[in-house]
Amino acid sequence: MAKKQASAAASGNGAGNMLRQPAEVLYAEEIDALIKADKHPKPTGWRMSPRSVLTYLCGGKCGKLDITPKYIGHQRQVEIAISTLVTDRALLLIGEPGTAKSWLSEHLTAAINGDSTKVVQGTAGTTEEQIRYTWNYAMLIAHGPSHQALIKSPIFRAMEEGAIARFEEITRCASEVQDAMISLLSEKRISVPELATEVPAQKGFSIIATANTRDRGVNDMSAAIKRRFNIVVLPTPKDIDTEIGIVRKRVRELALSLDLAAQPPADDAIEKVVTIFRELRSGQTLDGKAKVKSPSGVLSTAEAISLLANSMALAGNFGSGKVEADDIAAGLQGAIVKDEEKDHVVWEEYLKNVMKKRGADWRPLFNACSEHHG
Amino acid sequence: MTLTLTSPAMVHVFGVRHLSPSGAWHLRRFLDAVRPKVVLIEGLADANDLIPDITRKQTRPPIAILAYTQTLPVRTLVYPIARYSPEYQALVWAAENRARAEFIDLPSDIFLALEDVRQRHEHSSPEAQDEPQADGAPSPDAQDEADRPINTEPPVSLYDRFAAQAGETDYETYWERRFEHNLSEESYRRAAFEFGRALRELEQDEPRWRAENLVREAYMRRRIQETIEAGTPPEKIVAIVGAFHASVLTRDEAPMTDQELKSLPRRPSKLTLMPYSYFKLSSQSGYGAGNHAPAYFQLLWEALEQDDLPGLPARYLSLVARHLREGGTHRSTAEVIEGVRLACTLSAMKEGSAPTLQDLQDAAVTLIGHGERTAISEALARVEVGTEIGQLPKGVSKTSIQDDFAREIDRLKLDKYVTAVKQDLSLDLRENRRAKTEAAAYLDLHRSYFLHRLRVLEIPFAALAPSSQQSATWAEKWVVQWTPEAEISLVEAVLLGETVELATAYKFKMLLEKCAAVNEAAQLVRAACECGMMESMEAARRRLQELSTESTEFTAVAHAANELGMLARYGDVRRFDPAPLLPLMDDLFVQGSLALLGAANCDNDAAKGVLVGMDELNKVNLEYHDRVDEPLWTSKLKLLSDADDRNPILSGYACAILLERSLLSNEDLAREVSRRLSPGIAADLGAGWFEGVSKRNRYALLTRQPLWEQLAEYVKSLDEEQFRRAIVFLRRAFGGFSPQEKQQITENLGEHWGVNPDAASEVLQQPLTEQEEKTLEDLNEFDFGDL
Repeated sequence: MAKKQASAAASGNGAGNMLRQPAEVLYAEEIDALIKADKHPKPTGWRMSPRSVLTYLCGGKCGKLDITPKYIGHQRQVEIAISTLVTDRALLLIGEPGTAKSWLSEHLTAAINGDSTKVVQGTAGTTEEQIRYTWNYAMLIAHGPSHQALIKSPIFRAMEEGAIARFEEITRCASEVQDAMISLLSEKRISVPELATEVPAQKGFSIIATANTRDRGVNDMSAAIKRRFNIVVLPTPKDIDTEIGIVRKRVRELALSLDLAAQPPADDAIEKVVTIFRELRSGQTLDGKAKVKSPSGVLSTAEAISLLANSMALAGNFGSGKVEADDIAAGLQGAIVKDEEKDHVVWEEYLKNVMKKRGADWRPLFNACSEHHG
Repeated sequence: MTLTLTSPAMVHVFGVRHLSPSGAWHLRRFLDAVRPKVVLIEGLADANDLIPDITRKQTRPPIAILAYTQTLPVRTLVYPIARYSPEYQALVWAAENRARAEFIDLPSDIFLALEDVRQRHEHSSPEAQDEPQADGAPSPDAQDEADRPINTEPPVSLYDRFAAQAGETDYETYWERRFEHNLSEESYRRAAFEFGRALRELEQDEPRWRAENLVREAYMRRRIQETIEAGTPPEKIVAIVGAFHASVLTRDEAPMTDQELKSLPRRPSKLTLMPYSYFKLSSQSGYGAGNHAPAYFQLLWEALEQDDLPGLPARYLSLVARHLREGGTHRSTAEVIEGVRLACTLSAMKEGSAPTLQDLQDAAVTLIGHGERTAISEALARVEVGTEIGQLPKGVSKTSIQDDFAREIDRLKLDKYVTAVKQDLSLDLRENRRAKTEAAAYLDLHRSYFLHRLRVLEIPFAALAPSSQQSATWAEKWVVQWTPEAEISLVEAVLLGETVELATAYKFKMLLEKCAAVNEAAQLVRAACECGMMESMEAARRRLQELSTESTEFTAVAHAANELGMLARYGDVRRFDPAPLLPLMDDLFVQGSLALLGAANCDNDAAKGVLVGMDELNKVNLEYHDRVDEPLWTSKLKLLSDADDRNPILSGYACAILLERSLLSNEDLAREVSRRLSPGIAADLGAGWFEGVSKRNRYALLTRQPLWEQLAEYVKSLDEEQFRRAIVFLRRAFGGFSPQEKQQITENLGEHWGVNPDAASEVLQQPLTEQEEKTLEDLNEFDFGDL
């Protein structure tokens, strides 16, 4: 507890300069209000009941305070995630890039433990020591193995405290490193043979891992490790209006922070880009009347945002200062045609069979795209 | 009989939701406690005669009571009964305990007539839709209490509002958690009663529904009254009705008078039992509660009977895992255990006593599907819907489709063909201009539709004989014979729909769902057209469009495009509008064109198929040059024709098509020939190209002088060694030409070399001498070695 206060104090000091504050600091007011008003039983090690966690994530009311929704759209997925943690199972959030996996995992731990900072950030270079423990080698050499010389990983600390640890991008770690999690998750204890001891996990310990599905540079997960997780797939935004809303908001923000010299793209340009992305991603037109082929790329909401920001930069620096069809077409070509031969055909078919028939409204964009496509 | 206004207040009323396992379970306990002499059940009053058949030992639910009008237009009512229907359990209880069971809802003739009235209203309203399902098969349940949310128009129904208030996402889950899992004594009956009453108070139905309900309730009160007056004490009567009606059967409201009864419309009708299936129960919405997962509800019923409701999650998830394992995907028992835990936690978050189907599904997806619903959707369907098909003792069933068949036979004047003797039937689909009425003018066309429909339904009544005139699209020859097998297939077809047309439409739907290849879908489009079923054709067209995007297979796409083109061209004899097919044909044409280059990268065996595809696509192009993307096609042909890295035969063939369409100038051709034949190019590449070129119109080839000039120049330019090589493939390339054509070639070449054509030809036409033969043999060997 003392430690928690210390860390809270530390973050309090530098809060002004921090590029990004952790969720539990940013939303401290909401969390406190929810804890105070909570009437339902709390699982061991939790700061609030599962229902309050749900309210914290999906929004609602707590007394007079409005709780802002942190994750919009798929409430059932959040319910399953929370229930998973109640049953002391580990949770694996899977989804395409840009579906708010890390965001959800951070807010879950912030609400449950008030601490979202026990994180292992997985990379191809992550080693087993970073998951279990390592040594202060100076002390190790001077005094031999001792508790003082032990450097505990975030997961180790979470086990001792009965808290939830986060494991970001688990699939980017090598399979051998992922395997370190297997016995850790099934036995719920970590053995330190050098000290001839074993540290059991306290009640409340669990792990939230996140993983990408359709990306390069990820390793497969073995069946053994998959089996130890409850897997929740986070879908892309439910409907086009939600997605347009997200894109519009983010593009405006980006334009401000990056000082892009162009005006933000018009609403109907955003709508067109999001429509194209959604149709290619889902493999059918929005009205569901015709199927189209999907390209090899992911075409996430995040890509749509960067595409539009990019076209703003183009328009601002080399164009008229207003985002024109031509600026967007260049970006579309680049975003969609990644794997030359196959994507080429996909995009051409989409242009000829879908976009061409959309009428005068789409004509400028179609012409620009055809020109770029060559 | 005059009816007094005494209220039937003292009879026991048990409100249920149809197809509710818990309702059935509570009802049986209630009956055991009350031990009534008479059990009155909401159901078609004239179906009483069927009750002994329903409770017979050989009868195995799911079955359905089917009522249908004897005259056109056919209206039908289907009243499905599952093992866990409270009504079925009541009937079984009555049979076991020697109580009298009776149906007390309106008889089918009135019901069907009311249906007529409703249809008329719906058709006069602007947004009325002509869906065959809704037209043909609404059940009494369709306008019944708890079933409305799935069935009828208002989108945000009262039921969903109830559910939302209780914090549930949908009404089904709400019902399951509040009613199906509630096992405390008397709770179901009371809760259902209150629920029904609340619904009545809040209900904002259209007046039409309300009026119909009031009529039905008045009739039921009348029947209860009659039963009491016939001498059964009210406390020995139990009435089992939908929860919606429960509250008004005890209150002081007037039963229907004789006069009122007389004023109701009637249509002559027939009743029968028919076997039903869980699949059908689940796929046709509007049949009441629990229909979406009949097999799951069967599990729930079994669990209730064995007093083991808490064991249901384990059973459900184990079954899912087992189905997956049968399919070759291993899932461990540990995952099933964790799944049960997750389902229970999900349910606890909503303060439920046991997991609902939705909780179980989500747990199955998370644990057993590893997050992917698609991975287990088939296993889920098998556990929830199941494949169970009901059974009836022999001779019990007399179905509407048999009646419909007889009616159609009569209408189409096919009576004399329904015999055990094989007969030929020739049809001329064109309009008979001498006929007086339209029906007579198109009699043969309608006959064709009908027979094609039977063919789709796999009823072996008529077989299509191969037509002698391949091109005559207006003539059809059938061999017709009636057999007992045909009768059986016909009865079975009732599971698909109540009339031949409805059944065919449903069959098309199933075929389309299964269909996985572009050419299959194209055939279904054609079949639907032959059956004269435009809606099915539209569905098939959409499926074809879907599949075409998934497939990049050139030959299939080209075939489908050609098929659509043919249909659109010759379709007018079948009197249908081909307009919706044409845009899809355009799309397929674009796809085919784009796929050409990829497909051309193949070996000689596969090239044969591609060749046919190229031909078909070219045909479509020529036929519809005004609408398809001709420049695209020709540009792809040019690319292929110029390509060195594709199959040389196909390159040659593309070149030949371009030649034929005069899209290749003489200079281009000359350059191409010399390039193909230039030294350094592998011999068989050149030969293959020549083979491809010569596969099309050879006369077009023979008249092209530059081709032969180039060939002559080429032969001249060769030194001895090269000539030996070249002769091998040149021989092969011209091997397929007829003597006459060869003569023309020699003439061409002779002209060029300045040799007397006749003399040259004579020399060349002579059979080879033995020595020459041997030299050629040697050349072959030499060449093989070289390769």
